[in-house]
Amino acid sequence: MATVITPAGQRHVERLEKIWAPRAGVLGWLMTTDHKRIGIMYFFTALAFFGAGGVEAEIIRTQLMTPNNHLIGPQAYDEVFTMHGITMIFLFVIPMTTGAFGNYLLPLMIGARDMAFPRMNALSYWVYLASGLFMYYSLANGHAPNAGWFDYVPLAERAFDPGNNIDFYGYGLIFNGISSTMASINFIVTIFKMRAPGMSLNRMPLFCYAFLATSLALLFALPSLTVACIFLELDRELGFHFYDPHFGGDPLLWQNLFWIFGHPEVYIIILPAFAIATAIIPTFSHRRMVAFPLVALAEILVAFLGFGVWVHHMLTVGFATIVYVYFTAASLIITIPSAIQIFSWIATIVSGKPQFKTPLLFICGFIVYFIIGGLSGITLAAIPFDQQVHDSYYVVAHFHFVIFGAAVFPILGGMYFWFPKVTGKMYRERWGQVSFWLTALGTMVTFMPMHIVGIIGMPRRNWTYPSGLGWAGYNLSETIGAYILLAGLLTIFANLAWSLWRGEPAGNDPWGGDTLEWSTTSPPPVYNYPVIPTVSSPYPMWDTADRERDNRRLERGEGLMELGHQTPSSTVQDAELEEVLEMPSSSIWPLLTAASLTAVFASLVLTHYWIAAGFVVVLGCTLIGWHWESLSRHGVMAYEQEAHA
Amino acid sequence: MSDVQLPAGRGAAGVAPAARRRTPQPTGWWGAVLFLCAEVTLFGTMIGSYFYLDFDSHHWPPAGVPMPEILKVSVSTGVVVLMSIPMWRAAKAAQAGRRRETALLIFFAMFWQAAYLGFQIYLWRLDYLQFHPQGSAYGSIYFTLLTTDHAHVLLGILADASILMFILLKGLPRYQRIGVRGLAFYWHVVNVLIICVYLTLLSPRL
Repeated sequence: MATVITPAGQRHVERLEKIWAPRAGVLGWLMTTDHKRIGIMYFFTALAFFGAGGVEAEIIRTQLMTPNNHLIGPQAYDEVFTMHGITMIFLFVIPMTTGAFGNYLLPLMIGARDMAFPRMNALSYWVYLASGLFMYYSLANGHAPNAGWFDYVPLAERAFDPGNNIDFYGYGLIFNGISSTMASINFIVTIFKMRAPGMSLNRMPLFCYAFLATSLALLFALPSLTVACIFLELDRELGFHFYDPHFGGDPLLWQNLFWIFGHPEVYIIILPAFAIATAIIPTFSHRRMVAFPLVALAEILVAFLGFGVWVHHMLTVGFATIVYVYFTAASLIITIPSAIQIFSWIATIVSGKPQFKTPLLFICGFIVYFIIGGLSGITLAAIPFDQQVHDSYYVVAHFHFVIFGAAVFPILGGMYFWFPKVTGKMYRERWGQVSFWLTALGTMVTFMPMHIVGIIGMPRRNWTYPSGLGWAGYNLSETIGAYILLAGLLTIFANLAWSLWRGEPAGNDPWGGDTLEWSTTSPPPVYNYPVIPTVSSPYPMWDTADRERDNRRLERGEGLMELGHQTPSSTVQDAELEEVLEMPSSSIWPLLTAASLTAVFASLVLTHYWIAAGFVVVLGCTLIGWHWESLSRHGVMAYEQEAHA
Repeated sequence: MSDVQLPAGRGAAGVAPAARRRTPQPTGWWGAVLFLCAEVTLFGTMIGSYFYLDFDSHHWPPAGVPMPEILKVSVSTGVVVLMSIPMWRAAKAAQAGRRRETALLIFFAMFWQAAYLGFQIYLWRLDYLQFHPQGSAYGSIYFTLLTTDHAHVLLGILADASILMFILLKGLPRYQRIGVRGLAFYWHVVNVLIICVYLTLLSPRL
């Protein structure tokens, strides 16, 4: 039952509207700290990078459509496939899931009015945008990274790659990692401390568990990539020898450091997809999730176990067999929590009353493709098989089923699912279903033949191939599939764009959803909820008595927190009300801090170290300005008086 | 505004007494802890890389590179680690709202931390006169680990200075008190990391 605003509550709502009114115009967007606006900015930025990565994918597939093709040369091909990987992983999937979906939805789902650190949230976005543009600038000026997304040394060392292509990679990923680290800290603290009263950990939606697991994995995985990139740049720029075996270094140090980050990264990509699935499945199956506690545990376990399996990416480098046996066993163990989730999703759908609207169709597609990708993953955990197909198109098929089929499908389903909430409009269901079947068909036709062409010997990353090897037919099919996939994706975006313009009004809760965001208006007001909701189960929207009580509290003016930009903070475990926080409304400091940081990295890539040092001082000044603003904030007094009230 | 009531669920009633015994930590404290988790992981990765390269090599340090010096490093490390005590006291004083005492304790700690950093830079230069990071993988990881550690200390000193400035100019509102707690926690972690880096770099002598 949605919040119904009565005349008695209208007075309070008007007061909240006045307090939370956002700054108008472009400046309002540049200075915003509202999690919803930041989520929208993340969404469109990630979508733009998805477009760029998609164009790169189509170039790759068109180049490989026929043998001996010369659409682009080998150097351009190296840059295109490297940027495709970097873009899809660092600039599309993670920012789209955590940045867009997480930012917009997570505070709404837990009944908060914003993230725990709104200005840091804005800084995360600006740093992400700047790091993406930083890396794409390299493509525009013909020096894009060109050693693959995992950038193995010695190929990536100065001796073999003398331009500054790799420097854009090294500095770009350190830069991007700053954004992701801040975002992960923000999500963890938001989940721990900002939940609505009553939403104890066992009542938290599974969506939030998955984001908690993702954020923890990001926080502990990223430093390894950062260290790897620092060592790489020290080798390249200052002549150090971390990866140079002639001076006691070791190229395998890069591989270890990269994959200590890289494998948890796979779960960082896939866990938000699980989150979206666990939000869509109960809603359209009209029943609670089967084995809720087990799924919550499995989500955390997947993130945890993901740190112990990285060597399965290195089964051909010549480590001792016992090392491989350990990592193979650890890799196989991950199938247990993954299977728990798959069986739970299927059981929920089968035992409910499923309504196969577009969002659920995308989730069904996700389950099918995740199983296909998971099964090929199990085959790759078998040491002799992996050694046979390593660096072949079989591996490309495996990770595209996992990353595109399993991670992107829920994103697409999630776009349809929350479109009514974000825009207040309904999309066109029939076109939604058409777009699903086109996308699903395109995915299958593109990636399934890669298994076969890989097994019969086609290596990945070759810019072309001779005729007469039996690869041409499969490659032609893959290219046709890629264009069907493109048609499917364009249908999705055309449908959503058309619906934004001409869609029917959606109302607060068009699906009968189970989580709190459906209780507020579509789109939600700046303050999210006029009255802070109370929660007594993981399915708060289905607890009609609680929602009716919220309506009565609004009438009585209880739980409004209307003395400023206020939101409750609660205890970690039991979500008991702890204090009332005064949140910042808007600030220019996140943008200025991101600009200073951009100048630092631009100076570094140009090897102007003293100028970079100068910008570090400017960066320090912006941080002082940031904290000065906190102390000068009008709300500090209110904060003081009301804390522990 | 404390008018938000807990629903009378079974779980809430059962755990309430235990929850009351726990000291609730503000969001800023949690943010500082998680930031430090990332930093500790970063240092852990660097230390792991040091031993990875060590186990990979036949001679560590390589021929011609002197063994690390123990006495001066140990004394200076001992001094900076002791600064955890005034920082801990400063956090307590800030909690109690004693502005002058807080400022003095932070200033005292900052003085010795800056002295430590100055001395460490002097020792860094002595090392650099004997071997270079460009000479071997040992030199690369030795100087990188040491410099990152010093950068960590420098960051802490700058944080000391800015918090001191804010205390003098703006007093000790709750935002600042949380800041002082976060700063003290930062220094405790830095000091543990200094010990870890120190033991790592001295490991060829141990």
